[in-house]
Amino acid sequence: MNLYSIAFKNIIRCRSRILFIVTALLIGTAIAVALYMIVDSMRLAIGDQIDEFGSNIVIVPRAEGMEIGYGGTELARTAIDLKQLSETDLEKISAIPDYRSINIVSPKIVASVAIKDRDVIMVGVEPQREFAMKPWFSLAEQEGLEAGANPGDLALLELPEKGLIAGADAARALNLQAGDALAINGSTFQVTGILNRLGSVEDGLLLGNLSAVQTLLNRPGEISMIEISAYCNECPVEELAAQLSGVLPNGRVTALRQAALLREETIDKFSLFSMLITGVILVIAGLMVLTTMMGSVHERTREIGIFRAIGFRGSHVMQVIMVEAGLAGLLGGAAGYIGGNLVARYFGSYLAGENIDFIWQTGLILPALGLAVAIALAAAVYPAYRAASLDPVEALRFI
Amino acid sequence: MAEMLISLEKLNKTYKSGGSDVAALRDVSLGISRGEAVAVMGPSGSGKSTLLSIIGGLNPPTEGKVIIDEIDLYNLNREKRADFRREYLGFVFQQFQLIPYLTAVENTMLPLTTTRYPSREKREMAMQALERVGLETKCNRLPNQLSGGEQERVAIARAIVNAPPLVLADEPTGNLDTRTAREIMELFRSLNASGLTVLMVTHNPENIKYMNRAITMEDGKLVDDAGNLRAVGGSCFDRSESAGGLR
Ligand SMILES: Nc1ncnc2c1ncn2[C@@H]1O[C@H](COP(=O)(O)OP(=O)(O)O)[C@@H](O)[C@H]1O
Ligand SMILES: [Mg+2]
Repeated sequence: MNLYSIAFKNIIRCRSRILFIVTALLIGTAIAVALYMIVDSMRLAIGDQIDEFGSNIVIVPRAEGMEIGYGGTELARTAIDLKQLSETDLEKISAIPDYRSINIVSPKIVASVAIKDRDVIMVGVEPQREFAMKPWFSLAEQEGLEAGANPGDLALLELPEKGLIAGADAARALNLQAGDALAINGSTFQVTGILNRLGSVEDGLLLGNLSAVQTLLNRPGEISMIEISAYCNECPVEELAAQLSGVLPNGRVTALRQAALLREETIDKFSLFSMLITGVILVIAGLMVLTTMMGSVHERTREIGIFRAIGFRGSHVMQVIMVEAGLAGLLGGAAGYIGGNLVARYFGSYLAGENIDFIWQTGLILPALGLAVAIALAAAVYPAYRAASLDPVEALRFI
Repeated sequence: MAEMLISLEKLNKTYKSGGSDVAALRDVSLGISRGEAVAVMGPSGSGKSTLLSIIGGLNPPTEGKVIIDEIDLYNLNREKRADFRREYLGFVFQQFQLIPYLTAVENTMLPLTTTRYPSREKREMAMQALERVGLETKCNRLPNQLSGGEQERVAIARAIVNAPPLVLADEPTGNLDTRTAREIMELFRSLNASGLTVLMVTHNPENIKYMNRAITMEDGKLVDDAGNLRAVGGSCFDRSESAGGLR
């Protein structure tokens, strides 16, 4: 027998008291775990959303259909089709102060062309830049491959001057295969490859070289859209967008992350709020443990007097109390971990406002146990100290 | 005279309770030799329990010295005095002295809890102590499954499990019927016969015949000290036997 077994046996004797402490810690830990998981999965979800945008800034001409409005009422929509972005604008971009934050600049021209009685969107790009920006593009078919060989890496592909990459839907609609020749507006292009299905607008496009498409459309030097990918861990993307607007008066600069960013701010607020709630609940749990332990110490005055009389040091008495609290903390932490996971699983999607799959986060076991044990121990310090400094003569007086 | 075990020098104890001072001990000096069995008599409130708790290292005197086995008890700090209690003495109280959620053998083991003996040895020592009080067969019972006399025996086993030289008992038979009380007193006598020094507060004059010395307290003072009761063959406390011994 040792001090642990005394603590353990007392726990078994005082089941209802211990149950109360464990419940308080369970609730505290469960809420901490659940909120952590919910905030974490919200962050993960938004991280995915951000990653899906290859570009985070898009520049289009300021007005292809300009809205003239007043007080929310649209008075007129004028279609002024001006040549507003051009290749000379690309050089201006390199003049902005935070140019170092910019990773890739991908200019493109977009137009609708008629092929085999169908309207198809044709996009002229600079292939190396475009494919570097959208690394999730991959080829399903490639011209000149032997049967069974795998298509190469798009980023390394040399697109011939009059080569084309077709989106999966465009290829099916036009019945294209890699290597086919295709006449567009009297000019002949060659299908270099066909993209795997992406589930996005790119499935319906034909991608060609910027210069070849400009020539085909007879719009040399013209650009209808610039996509920019910037490293935006530290630089605020709005700041970059503002700088770009400054140098490109003809362009309308949109920071795509704005929506995501706004959402991130919401998550930050929610996270802060959760931390406050968790903190308050944990403090309450701690106070409940404290008062319960104080009651226990009070109730065991005589017992503690006996311990002291037979040669327990004050520190031994303290240990017995602390071990009890620690064991209660372990139980509460374990139950709280399970409870928190269940709460996150069944109520998390509702709280997070989106459909999120919660998986058991085994990495949270130790933090949950640690949290509950730490609270239990912190709350038990004072009662244990009181027990240790109890005057044995007083305690034994009525024996 | 045998070797001195306890020596009290001019003990004074004043309790401060609610503004008024209560003098529980006044100039008490006393020597107790190894192997003595001393009864402490006196009316309620005369300071008997106070004396015991001071000798037991639980209650610092206001003035005076307690020397046990050449150790100046109150020169030690609180924690060291706890160690001293564990090594040097066993306490036996009138009632409620067992931990309710521990079995007889666990209660007996309690003073060994904070020692370094291996746990099997602790249990063996506890079983031996229970054997000495004749309770080895009920070692796994909880206190509430034992009679009052049996609980008292467990308390005695616990007091002697560490083989201390001294046992302090505060009215150990106060709650027992006459027959059980006699059995308990017999037990104390046999423990004393095997060398244990016993200091026992008791109200019952009948108990004195099991002891070999009786001291009497009144109003915090030592007023009487009768030695060699057994040697003289006195079967009850006789004031005329009162001899020296008062130091
Ligand atoms: N802890 C205490 N605080 C205040 N007064 C006490 C305390 N313990 C005992 N006393 C007082 O000291 C006196 C002696 O008490 P005690 O030693 O218990 O006597 P006895 O055991 O002979 O009945 C009594 O008047 C009692 O009320
Ligand atoms: Mg008393």
